[in-house]
Amino acid sequence: MIENGFDETTSHSAKPQSEGQAAGYNRRDFLKTLGWGGTAVALSGCGNTSIENGKETVVSYVEPTDYQIPSIGVYYNSTCAQCDAGCNIMGRVREGRVLKLEGNPNSPVNRGKLCGLGQAGVQAHYNPDRVRQPLLKGEAITWDKALGLIAEKLNGVKGEEVAFLTGTMSGHVRALLGNYMDALGSKNHFVYEAVSPAVERAANKKMYGVSMPRYRIDKAKVVLSFGADFLGAWISPVNFSQQYAQFRKGSRPEGRGVLVQIEPKMSLTGANADRWIAARPGTEGMLALALINALGTAGLSIPTDVTAVVKDYTPERVSLDTGVSFEQINRLAKLLKERSPSLILAGGAAEGYAHGTQNAMAIALLNHVLGNVGKTVEAAAGVPFPQIAPIPGSRSALTALGNGLASGKYKVVFTYGANPVYSAPAVSKFSENFSKAGFKVAFAQYLDETALAADLVLPLDSAMEEWATEVPEYMAAPEGNVGYAQLSVRQPLMGRLYPDTRGAGDILLALLKQRKADEYKGFEDFYAYLQSAIMKNKAALGGADCADDKFWNDTLGSAILPLKGVAGSISAKPAIAGFALPAPVTADASYPLRLIPSISHSMRDGRNANEPWLQESPDPMTTIVWDSWVEIHPKTAAQLGIREGDIVEVTSKSGSIKSQAYLFPGIHPDAVSVPMGYGHQAMGRYAKGVGANVFAMLDPVYDKETGELAYHETSVKISKTGERIIIVKEEGPARGSQVGRKKIAVKVSADKVDLSKEV
Amino acid sequence: MHRFLRLSILLVGMFFAVGSYATDTAPPITTEDDLGPQVEQPIEFPHNRHAGLHDPADDADPSKPAKGGMEINCMYCHTYARRSMVAGIPPLRKCIGCHQSIESVKETPRIKKLFEYWEAKKAIPWKKVHDLPDFVRFNHERHVQRFVFQQNRPVQEACGYCHGDIKTMTVARRQKPLTMGWCASCHQKDHLVSASSSETSHGPNDCFTCHK
Repeated sequence: MIENGFDETTSHSAKPQSEGQAAGYNRRDFLKTLGWGGTAVALSGCGNTSIENGKETVVSYVEPTDYQIPSIGVYYNSTCAQCDAGCNIMGRVREGRVLKLEGNPNSPVNRGKLCGLGQAGVQAHYNPDRVRQPLLKGEAITWDKALGLIAEKLNGVKGEEVAFLTGTMSGHVRALLGNYMDALGSKNHFVYEAVSPAVERAANKKMYGVSMPRYRIDKAKVVLSFGADFLGAWISPVNFSQQYAQFRKGSRPEGRGVLVQIEPKMSLTGANADRWIAARPGTEGMLALALINALGTAGLSIPTDVTAVVKDYTPERVSLDTGVSFEQINRLAKLLKERSPSLILAGGAAEGYAHGTQNAMAIALLNHVLGNVGKTVEAAAGVPFPQIAPIPGSRSALTALGNGLASGKYKVVFTYGANPVYSAPAVSKFSENFSKAGFKVAFAQYLDETALAADLVLPLDSAMEEWATEVPEYMAAPEGNVGYAQLSVRQPLMGRLYPDTRGAGDILLALLKQRKADEYKGFEDFYAYLQSAIMKNKAALGGADCADDKFWNDTLGSAILPLKGVAGSISAKPAIAGFALPAPVTADASYPLRLIPSISHSMRDGRNANEPWLQESPDPMTTIVWDSWVEIHPKTAAQLGIREGDIVEVTSKSGSIKSQAYLFPGIHPDAVSVPMGYGHQAMGRYAKGVGANVFAMLDPVYDKETGELAYHETSVKISKTGERIIIVKEEGPARGSQVGRKKIAVKVSADKVDLSKEV
Repeated sequence: MHRFLRLSILLVGMFFAVGSYATDTAPPITTEDDLGPQVEQPIEFPHNRHAGLHDPADDADPSKPAKGGMEINCMYCHTYARRSMVAGIPPLRKCIGCHQSIESVKETPRIKKLFEYWEAKKAIPWKKVHDLPDFVRFNHERHVQRFVFQQNRPVQEACGYCHGDIKTMTVARRQKPLTMGWCASCHQKDHLVSASSSETSHGPNDCFTCHK
């Protein structure tokens, strides 16, 4: 009987044996073993082994504060630092430790919600691989010595010989950095983001007159998105996700919205769309112009200058170039004509080309033609204090810094919140150029690739320990308050885990005191500076009738300071002379496929790769964890003889990576996709050596107008290495035991796999 | 064949596992006393002096050192018990709050030690006496609210269900087994819903109530 029970799968199933069963150890057996083993361990574990009567110490407070009750959490408001969206958060603090983050319900940005990336913020704080002391070439030194060394190295150095590289910055830390750069007499502040909507800002500026308008997905009847993954990683995803929830409600006055996504690799937004269309990579702008053309044919009144611009882009012609059928283009045009207002979005997948700005402008023109501008594309208000307004990051800033470094003109280089040694393409030789700088100082929370390449590393507080303020670049607003802007406060949710870390503001203040001691001697630390800066503008910040201490306590209590924003104005239709949209490139025979470096929700540009929750949370499309992968269309894979789990080498003109092949029908057959953010060579135990770094193999092609790296312009070839693994992923039905047995022997011959089932 | 082998290995393993469980820790399902280890504390705190019953003989001659206790309510010091999952060891400031004005005992060794901790602003490293495994969540608040505030039972009696007769001890010592069977034996009994009602109910019986 028992034998029979164990043999259930093989004796009762008519299915042919899968690979796992062929090895004599199938999933059921494995689970049974695990179950019995677990029971055995559990039983023997019941012996109160974790009781530590008389051994463990129980420490009480010496002097408790009134509201602190052991085991009862207190919530403090702060601002998330995991990405640039600037969501307002609250942290649950218990016995002096932050345990869990939630969204702040009073925030117009995230309205009480928080994404998985934000949740993992506590792991950036409790991460065991944080830098704990100032390090000079790897040796721990004191702060006095570190700051003294910076003063010594800056002595006699001219302003133009100093460069400061940061990520996107805003708020009072930005103001302080501006003051420091002024004190040094330097204008070399480079703001770099590896993945940023820089092309979009440029196109928006030209087409709408503002670089970051407010999008009203919730007011649109149709959203046509050209590669904007607004539910995943695009600009302010938590805000957009909630707008999307409204957009999909049938009870809305506008009715349930229709979402169409056009992108070569299916994103989470693509998976949620009513129609997902894989146009040939790079032809998105043409498709937008063809839609205008078709709208004209369908009877929508189109200004004559626009008609002139789009007359060559007939649906018939564009259908050949894009691979989207003529009928499909006309259907879309009909949908857009019938359902107004609509909203047309352009995202990274349409912008990562040498003609990226042109693509984005063509797509924005569609918004003008459809009359959406002013309805679903609104002007957002700016903050009234330009010195704290966000400086958005871009790739072109890194190119400029790289050129300066190559010429050897920088004697002292600071980096903060940027990891270019990891995320610059290998061909740009950034790390080689970086080593040419005389003295390199990295403000770092972890020893990432850039911090390792620096001479001096200054340990940073985590976002749960530091004081800062932030102005979100995408300024969401409460309903009906168009002129709304806000300043978000980031405050310590708990004391420092390591006594020798400092906030970026504190370090900058200490550096400023070296230069302008008289001006800054009144501020003991950055907190004092921040408090005085905010209190000085109390009236402008809405506290005119409020006592000083009440205003300050309220500010810290809500951590959101609403401002009367500087109203932006969105321009009517711009003058368009014509578009330079190249015909799709004919594939280079030696590099026949287009590489799509995809933006994973969790990994983004790789700055959070050392947070294990993010490595562990399955990618929403492939469900793969703890590794990168190469997404291939099953048809293409069949031609190349590639099966799921084959280790393949993806080679471009500029480099190559090896990773596991994953067959996925949600990708254009002429493209392969590899997620960004993996493949760190440093940054701690959870990031190092996990996956492959796709940044390194990108070709040096740049957007013609903004100078941004054109992400999607890399052509690759793909070859099997002969190795094969079982992919560790959540999706089922899983074959074979996936736990603990990643590598399998290469003994399954290719002819045993029936590809027809996977296509 | 190897399946058989694997099964027998499993069975042998289970036998040993169950065996080790049975010999090690088989807990008696009883409400009888089950003394825990005598735990040595940094200060031998006299619970009997603070919470013990008043001895009328002490009234006769106030100049002599008192023999009886002061009948201080448990919740005066263990103030978190009615508000939180944990009862909490009283903060040091609580001790000092009274003792700074009790001159008669200020020079005794224990109180001198207490003030040494206070002046150094250091917490006293008390040792745990009533520890539960990490997979058990016991909630003091629920029990104190039910028995003290809803049923109007005397505080010392309610605390004593689990902690024993603390008013007779100096430093506390575990008196009850604090095992799951022992908890369940009380949760199965009928308890009054409130002092003014004759309605009764059981303690919860869900796994999730304590194991979460």
